[in-house]
Amino acid sequence: MATTADTFQAHTEEHHHDADHKPAFFARWFMSTNHKDIGTLYIIFAIFAGIIGGAISGLMRWELAEPGLQVLGQVASWLNGGQADFDQMTHTWNVLITAHGLIMVFFVVMPATMGGFGNWFVPLMIGAPDMAFPRMNNVSFWLTVAGFCSLMISPFVPGGTAAGPGIGWTLYAPLSTSGSVGPAVDFAIFSVHIAGAASIMSAINFITTIFNMRAPGMTLHKMPLFAWSVLVTAFLLLLALPVLAAALTMLITDRNFGTTFFDPAGGGDPILYQHLFWFFGHPEVYIMILPGFGMISQIVATFSKKPVFGYLGMAYAMVAIGVVGFIVWAHHMYTVGLDVNTKMYFTAATMVIAVPTGIKIFSWIATMWGGSLEFKSPLVWALGFIFLFTVGGVTGVVLANGGIDDNLHDTYYVVAHFHYVLSLGAVFSLFAGFYYWFPKMSGRMHSELLAHLHFWGFFIGVNVIFFPQHFLGMNGMPRRYPDYALAYEFWNHVSSVGYVIMALSMLLFFANMIYAFTVGKKAPANYWGEGATTLEWSLSSPPPYHQFETLPVIEDHHSHHDAIGTTPSAAH
Amino acid sequence: MKFGDIARKWLHVLPLIAAVLALTSLPQVSLAQPAPAETAVQAPAASAQSVNVADQNAAPAAAAEASGPTAQGAAASGYTPLGPEWIKGQPTPGALGFQKQYSNIGDEGLFMHDVVLLPVITAVTLLVLALLLWVIVRYNRRRNPVPSKTSHNTLIEVIWTAVPVLILVVIAIPSITLLAHQYQSPPKDALTVKVTGYQWYWGYAYPDNGGFEVISNMLPEEEALKRGEPSHLAVDNRLVVPAGEPIRLQVTGADVIHSFAVPSLWFKIDAVPGRLNERMLFIKEPGIYYGQCSELCGARHGYMPIAVEAVPRAQFEAYIRSQGGTLGGEEAAPAPAAAPLQAPESSVEGAPGAGAAPTAAAPGTEA
Amino acid sequence: MAGAKNHDYHILPPDIWPLIAAISVVTSTSGLVLYMHDLPAHWPVFGIGIASLLATFYFWFSNVVKEAQEGHHTPVVQLHMRYGMILFIASEVMFFVGWFWAWFDFALFPSQLSDVIGGQFPPKAIEAVMDPFSLPLLNTLILLCSGTTVTWAHHCLINGDRDGLKKGLWLTVLLGMLFTSIQIYEYAHAPFAFGQNTYGSGFYMATGFHGFHVLVGTIFLIVCLRRAYLGHFTPRQHFGFEAAAWYWHFVDVVWLFLFVVVYVWGGWGAQYH
Ligand code: HEA
Ligand code: HEA
Ligand code: CUA
Ligand SMILES: [Cu+2]
Repeated sequence: MATTADTFQAHTEEHHHDADHKPAFFARWFMSTNHKDIGTLYIIFAIFAGIIGGAISGLMRWELAEPGLQVLGQVASWLNGGQADFDQMTHTWNVLITAHGLIMVFFVVMPATMGGFGNWFVPLMIGAPDMAFPRMNNVSFWLTVAGFCSLMISPFVPGGTAAGPGIGWTLYAPLSTSGSVGPAVDFAIFSVHIAGAASIMSAINFITTIFNMRAPGMTLHKMPLFAWSVLVTAFLLLLALPVLAAALTMLITDRNFGTTFFDPAGGGDPILYQHLFWFFGHPEVYIMILPGFGMISQIVATFSKKPVFGYLGMAYAMVAIGVVGFIVWAHHMYTVGLDVNTKMYFTAATMVIAVPTGIKIFSWIATMWGGSLEFKSPLVWALGFIFLFTVGGVTGVVLANGGIDDNLHDTYYVVAHFHYVLSLGAVFSLFAGFYYWFPKMSGRMHSELLAHLHFWGFFIGVNVIFFPQHFLGMNGMPRRYPDYALAYEFWNHVSSVGYVIMALSMLLFFANMIYAFTVGKKAPANYWGEGATTLEWSLSSPPPYHQFETLPVIEDHHSHHDAIGTTPSAAH
Repeated sequence: MKFGDIARKWLHVLPLIAAVLALTSLPQVSLAQPAPAETAVQAPAASAQSVNVADQNAAPAAAAEASGPTAQGAAASGYTPLGPEWIKGQPTPGALGFQKQYSNIGDEGLFMHDVVLLPVITAVTLLVLALLLWVIVRYNRRRNPVPSKTSHNTLIEVIWTAVPVLILVVIAIPSITLLAHQYQSPPKDALTVKVTGYQWYWGYAYPDNGGFEVISNMLPEEEALKRGEPSHLAVDNRLVVPAGEPIRLQVTGADVIHSFAVPSLWFKIDAVPGRLNERMLFIKEPGIYYGQCSELCGARHGYMPIAVEAVPRAQFEAYIRSQGGTLGGEEAAPAPAAAPLQAPESSVEGAPGAGAAPTAAAPGTEA
Repeated sequence: MAGAKNHDYHILPPDIWPLIAAISVVTSTSGLVLYMHDLPAHWPVFGIGIASLLATFYFWFSNVVKEAQEGHHTPVVQLHMRYGMILFIASEVMFFVGWFWAWFDFALFPSQLSDVIGGQFPPKAIEAVMDPFSLPLLNTLILLCSGTTVTWAHHCLINGDRDGLKKGLWLTVLLGMLFTSIQIYEYAHAPFAFGQNTYGSGFYMATGFHGFHVLVGTIFLIVCLRRAYLGHFTPRQHFGFEAAAWYWHFVDVVWLFLFVVVYVWGGWGAQYH
């Protein structure tokens, strides 16, 4: 396989001037129709938003480090102007968690997984020259930025009790309607609206690309699992987001035009909002993790030097997770007053998802079983992912039991659960994918040493942050509280100390980037060696501006569903 | 800062109000608080708080002497709120698990978690961890330079699909049973109590006992500590209910969604405007059980705690009388099965309980 | 591999319109927020946003048409567009699912506690609803009819009958406009107001969004009509027309559901106006 890669590289270098002709700066980065450039933009944007979202969580951990109010006074007077009063301070807490949740979900994880890695590697992996709709691809990106701008305006304008939208990332009515006058909430709602429209367009783009632009011989059952994960995710986006769009529109008209969808005085139902939101919201959590699953599959196979174990099972487990993900939404609503049969149904249905997810966990382990593991940084992050995602997944199974959730709902146990699957799941997969592909994208090698140190610091830090939150939740500490009873002091303090460890490790991440772009070695086409067999490794690092001007033909040397064993070759 | 000032101002006014109240209540002999609808509006927050303050001033010795709710002395002259020695349901510093449970459903839930779920998820996690460690140790490049090419094994794939299914079935059976028990409806003659969530305090109404509503606000920190109660959890007027009997709790929200949650009773039900959620509450023994609002409801979401005070039946009846309420035989109490939807009082500026009390002495606000 | 493109995909040059589109969108939503809170400068902000958004649509789609004329739309690129259009319509279907969900919630579980509802649907506050078998039925027939005329146009196009294509399209556009006019008349004479209760909210928002889709579909068809006059369509390549037709049929089907669920079933038992 290495030979094929070399051949490819030789070709591309030969015709450097043709394939690599790049537009000038403004045209290249602001008018892009190139999937790799747009992917790069998404990744830079996600890191930027991640810094903001992570910094906000730092303010939050600072606030919760001790009982009483620590920093809210300063933040509130910054946002509101003048000396802040008590209600302005506590309202500002709600603004912080709203901004943190929305930023992390809509402007960090989604742009990074789908926008960044999806854009970069789906066309490369399936042997396509670009995405199906290059212009629409760019409008998706810029709309994401536009949505982010709308969100960034919101904390600085009046929201109700004080400046900013203090309604949580779930935007529950009637707190988000009659409960918060002022334009801040409208800016936040439109922000999600715009980001949602962007995601629908990129979902259409991915599905079309994957269905129509696979290279000759690249059947669906030979397609790398990352491309599969993006395909399933795109369907979830396509079908879930429009329902959210309808719900958001109802919020807007209830707030401003006198409709009563969620206003009980006019017969409306606040619970209707929750149904609509979670019909989107639960698929959304799989939208955030499935691309991560895909990346982990590529990485585990690469560094085991083995094909993925149970390839078909892996692909269809993701399909199953996607399908079942649409019929479990009310497990977020166990305490709203559902009737007992509904609750029983959602309890049973939710637990079903543990089965296909278990298939994935065990198949990754089986892939490594008998392998020849090489502990490069992506694999280390992937191993961390597998373990920590399991921890977060099993606490999800605890919450799935309606009778147990009656105690744990809206406590820190839930916060712990979803950070284990997100901040320790999705974000670990992001860093795994980042270190896996960074040299491919930039053409420069990062420092493996710094990447490992980053891993250990981050691993210890986030565990110290979030594991104690299980204890807080079981002990009864509710979420979305700026202050707490003294009994919760100890573990909150520990949690905040963990943040400092995590933050220090993030400095290593940025140091590593500086290292790579200043003294980092030039990256060869395939710097991971024989285990890396998907098509992107057959191209130079970075790949030519327009790759696959002649489509690769996938020859089948192995059994028919052996994705990793396929060999690309150029057809002349 | 401002809050300190407000707090001090209120502290000055409190004894005055207490005195006035004591005078006006002379003819009534008891410490009856008139139906909140009238007084409360005139003296927001103060009326609700002053009752407790008056109690403290009037009978500090009696409270110290009384050994608790069973002390008939207290019951005979009226009703005395339980002292801090009766606090049972509250978080424990540094705890690793759930709060101690004081209801049947709590026992069952705790069993479900501690005996069924926790061992299962711990075992699953440890299994995954052990397998990971094993492949790390055994199948690294040094010990296993030549990778195998195995990518299928139908048997093992069937096993890791079927075994989780079985485990989940084992979990599902007690889980569904727990749910069924949670939804047992109270007997027809059970006491009905209506809980209303307001921004940002609770209202407790007793439709079977004359329909008066008690407003419950968080106590300022010093006040809570003075009474020997935990800050952030202590309130001026608790939700007083009889212990050892099923209670029909109806929960609704007046303005936005709140959630009535008491961890040590395994009880959490959302207070949704336009809906009346009903659930049976059964508290096994007398005591004080703390909870907190558990649905984001705006700025002071973190400052509207819940305190349930469960007392023996006789005490409870004394409480009802002390509030000017009526009891079963005394009067034909208008007891609608479903209490009517109340006007959202708190959305009105200066409504009862909407005062600044909880904020007054919040710690560490001298930013 | 000669460095030149050896495949049929459409590789596009850089383009400024996506960036302008995004800026226009956030400008118009911001203008809307200003308007909703009666803040200064809302009309200029909203106006500039919408105007540049419309301009974006115009230039963007003109470019697509130009590219089609220049022969960039190879069979595989046309296939992309088919997929894209179908997926877009699928997402639109889910958008309407949200509105129907609300409608069913209100109709099946009318609030017992709200005075204006009184535990019934249509709510107590609604004295009369529209008679589904007068104007709404007429509108149903008009839309169904326009569905056949657009199919007629399609058949003419496939068979190279340019005149028939134009006639069919003219008829479809006119029927669409007729539908919209009747809908406007109906709104103006409706016996119940916008908002205020679940019926007024669900009815106007669901039929309103449908009406908006009819408008968009009509514009789409007008564009096709113009392109028909310009001779853009050939019996073998006319995806722009097909997309408009699919969209039109989708709008048609949504209407059928609205007619049955909102007008007939949702108004059951109430007085007709
Ligand atoms: C990436 C995101 C992500 C993922 C993947 C998941 C995965 C799961 N989640 Fe989580 N969840 C969230 C993000 C996520 N969640 C968020 C953000 C919230 C809060 C939203 C809010 O309110 O703000 C939430 C809240 C949430 C709740 C509501 C809690 C509450 O508010 O009261 C529930 C309840 O059922 C739940 C359940 C589950 C389950 C059962 C899974 C399953 O998919 C997990 C399956 C995985 C495993 C089980 C581990 C691996 C399996 C094995 C090793 C096999 C063997 C295992 C067994 C036999 C048990 N989640
Ligand atoms: C993906 C989602 C995500 C992530 C990563 C995080 C990360 C963190 N979160 Fe957050 N959190 C949420 C989603 C997330 N959170 C949501 C949805 C809520 C609920 C909000 C609500 O109640 O409405 C919440 C709420 C929440 C609370 C509860 C607040 C409350 O209820 O009152 C707390 C408290 O400690 C907290 C803390 C943290 C901390 C310390 C981190 C730290 O781990 C942060 C450190 C992480 C980083 C610094 C990594 C940043 C990522 C990048 C830099 C991207 C890299 C990109 C590439 C490599 C391409 N979060
Ligand atoms: Cu009331 Cu939260
Ligand atoms: Cu979920």
